[in-house]
Amino acid sequence: MKLPRTIPSALGFGVIWAFLILFVVYPLFRIFYDAFTDEAGRLTLVNFFEFFTDSFYLRSLWQSMVLGVAAVVTTSVIGIAVAFLLIRCEFPYRNLFSYLTMLPLILPPLVGVLGFVFILGRAGSVNVILMDWFGMEKPINFMYGMQGVLLVETVHLFPMMTLSVLDALSKVDPSLEEAAQGVGAKGWRRFRDITLPLTTPGYVSGALLVFIWTFADFVTPLVLGVQDLLAPQAYLNIVQFVDRRIFRMGIVISALLVLLAIVFVLAARQYVALKDYSSLTYSKIERRRLGPVERWLAVGFLTLLLVISFIPQVGVMFAAVGRGWALTPIPVVYTLEFFRQVSIETPKFIINSFVFSGLAVVVCLVVGVPMAWILGRTRAPGRNTMDALTTLILAIPGTAIGIAYIRAFNYPLPLIDIPLTGMWIILPLVLAVRRLPYTVRGSHSSLLLVHKSMEEAAENVGASKPRVFWDITVPLVWKGILVGALFSFLTSIQEASATIFLTLGGWEMMPVGIFTFYIAGSQSQAAALGVILIAMCAFSLYVVNRIAGTRVGGLFG
Amino acid sequence: MVHPMKTIASALAGLLFAAGPVAAQPAPPIEDELVLITPVAKTLTDPALAEFVKYAKEKWNITVRTSALAAGTPVAYGRIVEWKGRPEADIFWGGESALFDKLAEQNLLAKLALPQAVVDSIPVSIGKPKPIPLKDPNGFWIGTVLEPYGIVYQPTVLRRLGVPEPKDWNDLLNPKLKGNIAQCAPTRSSSSHATYEVILQREGDVKGWEWLRTLGGLTGIFTARSRDVPSVVAKGEFAVGFAVPSYMAFEDRLAGFDIKFVAPKTAWVTPEPIAILAGAKHQKAARAFIEFMLSERGQRVAMERGVFPITPKYRVQGPPGSTAELAVEFTGGLRSYFDQEVTNIYDDAVAQARYEQVNTLFRKEIESVWEELKKK
Repeated sequence: MKLPRTIPSALGFGVIWAFLILFVVYPLFRIFYDAFTDEAGRLTLVNFFEFFTDSFYLRSLWQSMVLGVAAVVTTSVIGIAVAFLLIRCEFPYRNLFSYLTMLPLILPPLVGVLGFVFILGRAGSVNVILMDWFGMEKPINFMYGMQGVLLVETVHLFPMMTLSVLDALSKVDPSLEEAAQGVGAKGWRRFRDITLPLTTPGYVSGALLVFIWTFADFVTPLVLGVQDLLAPQAYLNIVQFVDRRIFRMGIVISALLVLLAIVFVLAARQYVALKDYSSLTYSKIERRRLGPVERWLAVGFLTLLLVISFIPQVGVMFAAVGRGWALTPIPVVYTLEFFRQVSIETPKFIINSFVFSGLAVVVCLVVGVPMAWILGRTRAPGRNTMDALTTLILAIPGTAIGIAYIRAFNYPLPLIDIPLTGMWIILPLVLAVRRLPYTVRGSHSSLLLVHKSMEEAAENVGASKPRVFWDITVPLVWKGILVGALFSFLTSIQEASATIFLTLGGWEMMPVGIFTFYIAGSQSQAAALGVILIAMCAFSLYVVNRIAGTRVGGLFG
Repeated sequence: MVHPMKTIASALAGLLFAAGPVAAQPAPPIEDELVLITPVAKTLTDPALAEFVKYAKEKWNITVRTSALAAGTPVAYGRIVEWKGRPEADIFWGGESALFDKLAEQNLLAKLALPQAVVDSIPVSIGKPKPIPLKDPNGFWIGTVLEPYGIVYQPTVLRRLGVPEPKDWNDLLNPKLKGNIAQCAPTRSSSSHATYEVILQREGDVKGWEWLRTLGGLTGIFTARSRDVPSVVAKGEFAVGFAVPSYMAFEDRLAGFDIKFVAPKTAWVTPEPIAILAGAKHQKAARAFIEFMLSERGQRVAMERGVFPITPKYRVQGPPGSTAELAVEFTGGLRSYFDQEVTNIYDDAVAQARYEQVNTLFRKEIESVWEELKKK
């Protein structure tokens, strides 16, 4: 009876690997192949030689690193402070703050930076007020330059840090800290010896994501006129197809981004794997009631943070309803015409968004849940590689994946004689691959919470494997899977970096729609569509938050 | 390579059609779908396509589904090359005519085969001493509109800086404009590249590059795309924008912004060429669209958006207060490029022959030393 049971699982295992090899490994291989060959297809190192002897590219590399580290520092300071407040302290409106501090994460690319420029640009509201009302002569340059990029990334990404630390903190068993306190370790000592080491893995994964996200973002720097960074260089070089040499350099830089991402992931894994000894259960946490002054400070700090965080949303709102808004603190003429203008195409964008993201989630579930099961419940060969691959996908810049897909799937398929790049299915596919890690992590971490003994107990009293899965495992893990799936959906619907290269006429999802309006020159129309997308995402996030609470952070690890 | 299944299927279909009464029906005059790939902004392509849909409905009672794949000139060109004759679009519209010649050389364009009267209505070229070709003698592309690449500015910001409104290229080198000029790199924008060439061919290479380096030092932002240049000026983020197509700036004017446009005497004027891609799925619809664009109705749509007619037959004109009249006012009172002497010093052959060289020099002389240039 052994054979019939292993054959389907072996088959499933094979299908998953086939998927990973075809849609992850092969495109990446293709981009590396392009990076190491010349126009005639000969193997060469010339491209890399050119990169490492060009002072402009080297400066871009250096600045990207510096920016990434700076973003990790700023998001750490804010993110950890917020996480501690939310989980360890009791103060008014704590639940509301816990939802609101997650919101900055759902800022679609482009919309965030545009919103910031509307408020903090050279002719933004703040500078206009300073110049018109306070007689300042020259505008303060908040945005155009590295400082602006850092500001946008910090505000956008600190919730990612908060979530990661929050997740780690809520898994720390309070009895450990109490025990430390019992033997005399108080305050700083207890934090250093117990809390810090236990939360480090969560922190490291959060830091890694912030670093790589900043490293790979090309839209923000471009809008702010910062071009000596790696990601904008990759993008700029690739989108100009005419000069084949520069085009190839774009691919080389993309390959380099992937390579660096791999290095960072490996380094982080090395560190996290060694120290992963936090308990797996979420602990019930005693929150400390803050005194009146402390309470006021906590609320004050979070309010200030939120005011800054919502600058982009406010800016985009004004831009979406203001006509000819320039050189005044807020628009003078108000109109709904931009919403009306985008409403013609918006239904198509919304439908595309839901269909493609929905399909992507289905693929994520079909491939990701069994992957989580393989990782959590079996000793199948290649498990570690599979796990590493999952983490790697998180780290690969969307731009690089988009380019890799164009290069890899531009050949007519047998039977139908159409290349994959000519069929819309490529969009859900690339989205599924990009978001697969969330589903895998979400399912995996909930699977880990189900003790194997429960399943074994059921088997002992005679339940079949499928019965065990449906009656024991599923009821216990569905929440985690659902949250993972929703999160995949929520991030898919905001994705533009990979899809922008692959989208053909009629396939536009909302973020690419925003780009299309922006490229056509109407920031107001882009803003109007941005407002619609933000509203939809905020609602989805609210649902996720209601279902999952603090657990969303476990997805990033 | 044709797959056997396909052959069988088409053979079967052939049998069915040959046998049935269906064969008696004439083929529809045009397909019911049309896809553009174009660097021309939506604000021009959307109204043009919308009017074409109406026209097709009236003329053939066919509802054409249209879409436009927005892509900068280099991207559009690159994608067409990558498609290798199996295009995802039917028409390539906009950019430099030399790129169209390059595509034709690679057999990636289909012959236009337009009625002779339509072709003849468009002059061979415009401008002196270097004529700008308006149609391809080999019949692969044809111009659609005339559109200058000029200078935009925000009057309020200029007043605040104490800088007079610019009239010619050299007015941009005013030191008071430091940090207030927006431009797009010529590596990324065809309008910028062409205008860089105008400066280089006007002043000669040595003086030209010195001029461009000075401009670089005064530049406050290199935008990612040429379309961003008028946007940031309209918002008042920067005072002056370099190398901006007239209709892009006009859109910001229509959107309610206080932005002004001036085309210096030597500004490059593009005919915005259009062509049908070889292997396009909707060849007839594509041809019908091009004919429509060159008809009075099509030209009128374009004239409402801040560009000029490609033939001397029409002039930008409308009732007082109309968009067309606003466009005339915006572009300095001009109603047709055929009303005046057009000075052109830009030689596209020279420009295309050293396209990559200029890009490389830009990177070396300006982009990678921008920080130092700003300090001067």
